[in-house]
Amino acid sequence: MKRTLSVLLILALSLPLIFANGGKEPEPAVKAGPVEFEFWTTETQSDRLATIQVLVDTYTAINPDVSINVIPVDENDLAGQIQAAAAAGNLPPLIEAPSETAVSFGTEGIMDTAANGALINEIGKDKFYAGTLKLLQSSTGEYYALPYHGWVQGIWYRADWFKEAGLEPPNTWDNILKAAKYFYKPDQNQYGILVGTTAEAYTEQCFTQFALSNGAGLYDKDGNLIFNSPAMKETVNYYAELAKYNPPGPQTWRARDYYIQGKMAMFFYSTYIMDDLALQDAAAGSLTGDNFADLAGSTFDPELVNNTKMASQITKKNPAGYGTIVSMALLKQDDAAVTDAAKSFLRYLYTQNAYITFLHMAPGGMNPTLKEISTNPRFQNDPNGIFKHYGADKMAEIIQGMDSIETFSIVDGKRIEKASKVYAQQIIPQMLYKITQEGMDTDSAMAWAEKEMQKVQ
Amino acid sequence: MKGTLQQQQARLGVRLISPAVIIIGLLIIYPVFYNLYLSFHSVKLSGESRFVGLSNYAAVIGDAEFWRAFLSTALYVFFTTVGTTLFGLIVALAMNKEFPGQGLVRSLLLLPYIAPVISVVFAWQFFFDPVNGIFMHLMVDKWGLYAERFNLIRSPQYALWVAIIFSIWKNFPFTYLMILSRLQAIDQNLYEAAEIDGCTGIKKFFYITLPEIYFVLGSIVLMRIIWNMNKFEDIYLLTDNVKTLPIYTYFKAFTGALDMGQGSAISIIQFAILISFIILYVKKVLKW
Repeated sequence: MKRTLSVLLILALSLPLIFANGGKEPEPAVKAGPVEFEFWTTETQSDRLATIQVLVDTYTAINPDVSINVIPVDENDLAGQIQAAAAAGNLPPLIEAPSETAVSFGTEGIMDTAANGALINEIGKDKFYAGTLKLLQSSTGEYYALPYHGWVQGIWYRADWFKEAGLEPPNTWDNILKAAKYFYKPDQNQYGILVGTTAEAYTEQCFTQFALSNGAGLYDKDGNLIFNSPAMKETVNYYAELAKYNPPGPQTWRARDYYIQGKMAMFFYSTYIMDDLALQDAAAGSLTGDNFADLAGSTFDPELVNNTKMASQITKKNPAGYGTIVSMALLKQDDAAVTDAAKSFLRYLYTQNAYITFLHMAPGGMNPTLKEISTNPRFQNDPNGIFKHYGADKMAEIIQGMDSIETFSIVDGKRIEKASKVYAQQIIPQMLYKITQEGMDTDSAMAWAEKEMQKVQ
Repeated sequence: MKGTLQQQQARLGVRLISPAVIIIGLLIIYPVFYNLYLSFHSVKLSGESRFVGLSNYAAVIGDAEFWRAFLSTALYVFFTTVGTTLFGLIVALAMNKEFPGQGLVRSLLLLPYIAPVISVVFAWQFFFDPVNGIFMHLMVDKWGLYAERFNLIRSPQYALWVAIIFSIWKNFPFTYLMILSRLQAIDQNLYEAAEIDGCTGIKKFFYITLPEIYFVLGSIVLMRIIWNMNKFEDIYLLTDNVKTLPIYTYFKAFTGALDMGQGSAISIIQFAILISFIILYVKKVLKW
């Protein structure tokens, strides 16, 4: 009996050794017949998931051998979920991911660069906006993913309040700080600005635009760390000063609700906000609700959309814009049939009807990376009338901005992959949290961040 | 092959327990040992892993963040255990007396414990929101107790205490229920005899009630320490600024740096601390 028990125990204990042998992978084999795979999307809202499901159903109706499971994954959880899937050896063949995240996964060697590159060539490299493709390229010219849609960030502000106060639009450092101070009236529950102060992506997105406008980067074009520079320190100090006019405590994008409730003068946000400003149904989730009639900000302000303007560029030493390209990435698989099926589904997502259906989930927020779609009349006629509301010129400006997105990870046209890892590790947001919320001084916090960045290989 | 009766019985015994051994092996022993394996390796997303000896442990122990997380965990476990136990005991003693509507009150007290964590967390977050929350609305606008609004639930200086109060509020009903059931089993003759001897209420509590519920209290405290040392969802969902060891492990292993090796090392250290504590506690307090 003892021996049988020992055999069982040895069997149980040796499992880690069997599974841990990650270096050896079985030979890829093409499977005939039905294929099933997972598509991870960062569109976690139920209405968007419903639209994606319609696209999947349409595709699988044409391709009955393929079945696709749509898995929603929050953008901030994506790295963790991919980590877990990689450890378990069941990475999905197709994911939607912000470009910086896709690049950081790419440097870990999990992206199928051959399949991604082949599909880009198949669709036609010249059909994409060149700026969007560049963001997904490795230093050796391979593609970690395909650009699918993108948004531009800016400061959205109460133009009516600014006009009344005789303030200039928030497009320079001085103008922004002046207005933030002016409108900060905590005793009236009104706040000057919203910039991110929690340790997550939103904070980095707000900060990057300031840093780029001050000519402050993380690496030089040869990949040397130049983070701890006077320009960066000046930006960090300015950002910390600005954060004093935030609503109390650590804040993230969720606090945009306070703007919709009329309690804030400015906030950083992407073009995704366009429908929340213009449509009562979209704004409902941001209002305080009818249950607490005493609380201000429970009714939709139909004038808000007309009283709101967006400053898409910030100037200090030079004007800087910021945005994000969201990509679709094919990941390495053991089974070539799965890759083929995922690639075929992705090709379908780029066909005109499917593409426009996808983008119309969030008009303004999701902008095409294919030139021919942006000028397509069907695309410009979205069901919610957002395009009509904001006008074709504004939309063209947004799409134009998307083609010239700058990031820390491209210096003088060269891809610095380490910068994407710094982004994925959220070192900058953690540093800003330490300064703005834990009261650490700028020098110590920057020294901490520099040390963390030095660890990045 | 048949063997003696004893051998046959032994074989039957093995067959009977083998499903349990296999399940425990796969679900408990395998993850523990795989975790141990990971803690000695540097793991890449692509599955490649490299043996690095004790360097993950050295990195963890040399990291100030780890010691901050350790301190937060110690504070969290200490105050939540003391809080839930004392509060649970007081409520149990009160509920042990007869009063009208006793049944209803006893059941209502269980609500925080049985309500799903996520819904209670949202309620707390809404309640304490600095700009729209009812709490600040009352404190600042209605009663003027504070001059300015502040972020009670997310600011680093308050967040740990909010998480502790939340845990006490959420978990005291369990303690209360356990103690109450033991209280009801105490022989009333003991109290009557004590009264004849002239014992007061306080003396009765210390000389009869407390010794009677000693082992229940001891077990509850032990379970609470184990549960709260490993507590993840309550803290993680309520506030993102309290890094106790399980949350710190999660951040290490699954976000940003994605360092599975160090994450595993932290969980092994935590496991070792917990096991040593349990052994000491069981010997000294529960006297097993």
